[in-house]
Amino acid sequence: MKRRTWLFSAAGATGALIVGWGLLPPRSRTGSGRIWPPAVGEVALNGWIKILADGAVVLAMPRSEMGQGVFTALPMLVAEELDVALDRVYIAQAGADTIFGNVAMLVANLPFHPQALEQRPAVVRAGEWVVSKVARELGINATGGSSSVADAWTALRLAAATARASLLGAASLQWRLPVAELTVNDGVVSHPSGKSAHYGELARFAAATPPGTVTLKERKDWKVIGQSAPRRDIPAKVNGTARFGLDVRLPGMLYAAIRLCPMLGGSPGALNANAALAMPGVERLVRLPAYAGSSAGFAVVGKSWWQAQQAALAVPVDWHQRPAGALDSHRIERELEAALQSEEGFTFHSQGEIDQAETHASRQLEAVYRAPYLAHAALEPMNCTAQVKGGKVFLWVPTQVPQMGAAIAARIAGVGVEDVSVTVTLLGGGFGRRLEVDYVAQAVRVAMDCGGRPVQLIWSREEDMTHDFYRPMHVAVLRATVDAQGQWSSLRIKSAGDAISPRWMERGIPLLAGPVDLPDKTTVGGLFDLPYGFASQHMSHVATRKGVPVGFWRSVGHSHNAFFSESFMDELAFETRQDPLALRRQLLKDQPRYLAVLDLAASQAGWGGELPAGRARGIALHESFGSIVAQVAEVSLLDGRIRVHRVVCAIDCGTVVNPGIVAQQMEGSVVFALTAALYGKVDIHAGVVQQKNFPDYPMLLLAQTPVVATHIVPSTRPPGGVGEPGVPPLAPAVANALFALTAKRLRALPLVL
Amino acid sequence: MELQINGKPVQVDADPAMPLLWVLRDLLNMTGTKFGCGVAVCGACTVRVDGQAVRSCVTPAATLVGKRIQTIEALGTPGKPHALQLAWIVEQVPQCGYCQSGMLMAAAALLEKTPKPTDADIDAAMTNICRCGTYQRIRVAIKRAAGFPPGGPVKKRA
Repeated sequence: MKRRTWLFSAAGATGALIVGWGLLPPRSRTGSGRIWPPAVGEVALNGWIKILADGAVVLAMPRSEMGQGVFTALPMLVAEELDVALDRVYIAQAGADTIFGNVAMLVANLPFHPQALEQRPAVVRAGEWVVSKVARELGINATGGSSSVADAWTALRLAAATARASLLGAASLQWRLPVAELTVNDGVVSHPSGKSAHYGELARFAAATPPGTVTLKERKDWKVIGQSAPRRDIPAKVNGTARFGLDVRLPGMLYAAIRLCPMLGGSPGALNANAALAMPGVERLVRLPAYAGSSAGFAVVGKSWWQAQQAALAVPVDWHQRPAGALDSHRIERELEAALQSEEGFTFHSQGEIDQAETHASRQLEAVYRAPYLAHAALEPMNCTAQVKGGKVFLWVPTQVPQMGAAIAARIAGVGVEDVSVTVTLLGGGFGRRLEVDYVAQAVRVAMDCGGRPVQLIWSREEDMTHDFYRPMHVAVLRATVDAQGQWSSLRIKSAGDAISPRWMERGIPLLAGPVDLPDKTTVGGLFDLPYGFASQHMSHVATRKGVPVGFWRSVGHSHNAFFSESFMDELAFETRQDPLALRRQLLKDQPRYLAVLDLAASQAGWGGELPAGRARGIALHESFGSIVAQVAEVSLLDGRIRVHRVVCAIDCGTVVNPGIVAQQMEGSVVFALTAALYGKVDIHAGVVQQKNFPDYPMLLLAQTPVVATHIVPSTRPPGGVGEPGVPPLAPAVANALFALTAKRLRALPLVL
Repeated sequence: MELQINGKPVQVDADPAMPLLWVLRDLLNMTGTKFGCGVAVCGACTVRVDGQAVRSCVTPAATLVGKRIQTIEALGTPGKPHALQLAWIVEQVPQCGYCQSGMLMAAAALLEKTPKPTDADIDAAMTNICRCGTYQRIRVAIKRAAGFPPGGPVKKRA
């Protein structure tokens, strides 16, 4: 199937499900103030903005704070457009209205080549229009895909500017003075005549005042955007008062511990609960059905989590392997290798005459790269607090997808989705794991048996590690050829592994899951869309379904694809005796944006300059989530172990809202990616995940953390992502440095010399 | 049993084997101390016992009778935050924040014993896991709280 064909069939299939959808008017995302719950002394001016009696502003926050700084970045957009101090912008969790749906995240999943996105032919415009429309109608409120700022960039600034225009309009009408003569300073509207009023005094009248023409501030007038405002969530995170999911405390609350079948996809047979139920503080045992192809198991409810957990561990269980047979990661790796040979796969990108280029090549290089399954290991274990009472369900949950949580809760409890209320707590890490709602389903199931009492269901670290939705294993073969002029001129990449989006859609948004899997851009991101100027290119992917539960893991396909492509670029440089930076520069001569990022990283890292004996540098460049990141890693070997001393990052993430947060995310991404590069591996034998806890799934510690320096390329483009793009280039930068140091090319993750 | 928590005697009716972490969290509703791994590896549950950093997830509360237990809730007060808490804010350390209670308690134990820690001292004492990767800022913030001149380059042992 050609790309265009499937795109339109996808759009058609989705559209057909939403009856009459094509006839609806284009939806504004500013929304109405009526969607706020009514409150005395407060006036909602639109779906996003409410004004308090003292003139302070409340922002409806549709995104989850999981460390990426969204509770600071989005209020900054509001402070800018409304001309109020940042500390006068409070946040309240947004409701379920479709204006809060994450349009940018879904649009970014269209598998267009970056070239097409720049040139914007009709097919791209049509695709984006269709998906935007579907996304707006569905209103899927999700925090992911490094999209929060990109999505809010226009919608939220417009909502704030619209509110400001109504407030100014109200002052103008009340004072009978032209709007043009009014000024706003820190939420106070004033006129040279001496008249002045704060937003709180104008809000009621403003709610009935049409905004007139709304314009966004010009870049030169920004006072807040572009500043490193301190994060608003930090004070509570240094004194123990920040409330995560695990910290919810309710009157009469019980605790639940779980055990799921250790064999993935398996289930418990007979359970002998008598001894466990006789243990102190233990109340009951509840069987848990398998969530979306994962493992079935049971929960034990008690007065404290420790008591529940002790009892759960004491239950003798006869576990049953899944009917389709035991999963085995070693076997899956062989199967993926075989699939690369036997299956054609889906072509995501093709240009030039690759067969011809390969036939007439003067030289050829081919290599096979591998990446293992990975667990997320967010530090706050999976948890959800649920109460089922009087036909209603109440959830308190750290989640990236509150509406998907509400939907699964409604389905399980047999109530309408409007009867489910979701309170989103702070997230102790997300990284994609909290785009899943398996633990919500379990908590609701358990709460249904608890007579109306709230239950906090908490997974042990062992359950978290052994029942994740894993970053899927991938294998790729890369081949490049040199033409008669001695230039690298063709690049062919074929990869194989499970596609994530179709499985996630099936689990969470069955409405969007079609009878056949559509090609999944998230799996091939960073392989089909490379910036390098190979005259001929071909990129295909064999999407498999191996049965291991797979999910989005920070930077998704990019997390392994950058390792494949950027390590291979280094191989090409070595093969033709070129400096790795020079070869990249040569192949990027028509890509000034990439070139600027690469050059900034190289110059800041002193590429080519002297290093202490026993050290070497490696470089890598990668675009993901709308941002380009280059990293230079400086490595050595210490007693045979890989030691990364320094990582210099350069990033072009478009317009920067808060450079301090960008630096935080680069530093964090380096640690997250280095952990995976050096240690990350999930093995499955006889259906059982072998890594159980941090001792056998180790994390980088402070002592091993390199110095990370971040340099930002100035840009006036709309904002790109920041939470994920720092992850992909790290592994290849380190692998390339190791090659420079040892002449040994590592083609599998984790990196083992 | 009676425990001394944050300078106050606290009566607790708990199984003697119950780790301090769960006594704090589930019996006393003191949720600042976090659960991360349950096997004393990640350090999210770090509290101080007689000044020393202790991983409360594997330490039965009954073994702590008669000892001074300090949790994140009493590291500083709103009016007088601990120097580390101020440094954590200035250096903008936390991301998700889940590990930071444990990090701060480990750092407080370090500074009490070693008021002017070297990089090697910090490496050796700070063995908690931060999945968001805030380690670089933790190092700088500890040095700031220790009174080293701020703004200098981040120095690391090679």
